[in-house]
Amino acid sequence: MATKILSVDDSRTIRMIVGRTFKPYNCQIVEAGNGEEGLAAAAREQPDLIILDVTMPVMDGVTMLGKLKEDPALKTIPVIMLTAESGRENVLQIAKLGVRDYLVKPFKEEQLIEKASRIVTLQKKPAV
Amino acid sequence: MNDGASYLELSRRYGFAPKPESASRLTQLVSRQDADLDEIAKVINKDPSLRARLLRVANPEAENEAEYAVETVEDALMRNGMGCVLVLAMSTPLAQALIKTFQTMLSLKIETVDPRTAAPLAGEQLVCNIDFTGKVVGHVLLRMSAEAGRLIAAGILGLPPKEMQDMNEVRDVAGELLNIMTGNFKSNLCDAGLECKLSPPDVRSTGDFMPSGARAGSVEHMAFHHGNIQIFVDVTANPWSDD
Repeated sequence: MATKILSVDDSRTIRMIVGRTFKPYNCQIVEAGNGEEGLAAAAREQPDLIILDVTMPVMDGVTMLGKLKEDPALKTIPVIMLTAESGRENVLQIAKLGVRDYLVKPFKEEQLIEKASRIVTLQKKPAV
Repeated sequence: MNDGASYLELSRRYGFAPKPESASRLTQLVSRQDADLDEIAKVINKDPSLRARLLRVANPEAENEAEYAVETVEDALMRNGMGCVLVLAMSTPLAQALIKTFQTMLSLKIETVDPRTAAPLAGEQLVCNIDFTGKVVGHVLLRMSAEAGRLIAAGILGLPPKEMQDMNEVRDVAGELLNIMTGNFKSNLCDAGLECKLSPPDVRSTGDFMPSGARAGSVEHMAFHHGNIQIFVDVTANPWSDD
């Protein structure tokens, strides 16, 4: 069964990069453009991993993370933050809410794979 | 959940790159409204690159160093106050973030060049702007030719340049590039107590960009170059806004 990964970022560019990063693996990528859409997608899709941006319109990543952790049905889904912001207050608040890892943009695709593979099983697709 | 770890421990756990020391030190000094100019001058005088940039900011009309009317760091600080120091403190992480983004996501080594000698952009260009408000007010403006934008977007999205024809995608990549840069400096400002918020990036294509006037000493012009790619970045900042 494919590993389901939810990418929540208002930038289509980042969602495309995340999709490309996991393309060699047996993964299904689900996308959301803000925290509100991300919460709905998390409830609907029950992903194995969420990759979450911080600054987004409608609902930001910190608010989404807080709501996710308040929901008994969603709180165990592991989250990796993927953001350009690594300021002290943000990082402490996010760590307190509970994330498995944190990756600061700009990032290499290998870094995201390395962090994700510590949390979920990434199985390479067979060569065609 | 956080096990009570400090920011330093979390930085190590998550593998954060260290922040530029002189920029962090400058931001901390500027964030104190009673900052001592001598202390700031010492930090700047220890860093030849910062010193050169401050004097360039303080002499916006000069075409080269021989034309400088303001020749010392102390004089530049006396004439321009904290605005110019803040611009320097902010533009250092901005420039580093741009260089790192090119290295990390495009495997390209982009270099800083003197904006006074860089060839101006011709033809259609992409103009990206992010405003920031809070204890610091200003904006970051990034400009490049539409063709450079297309090459960068193709590289970041992993597509052959000839397939990168959708200008909406090119603009989205340019906006994200600026987002990454400004996110890095926002962290630096917030850590020093200068909380601010960033606007979403505004990206437009134009054939007749006209720079807006900014008070001398509160804007830094930067330019970067790699092959056919030339990028201009302007940073303006004014501290102590109560907005």
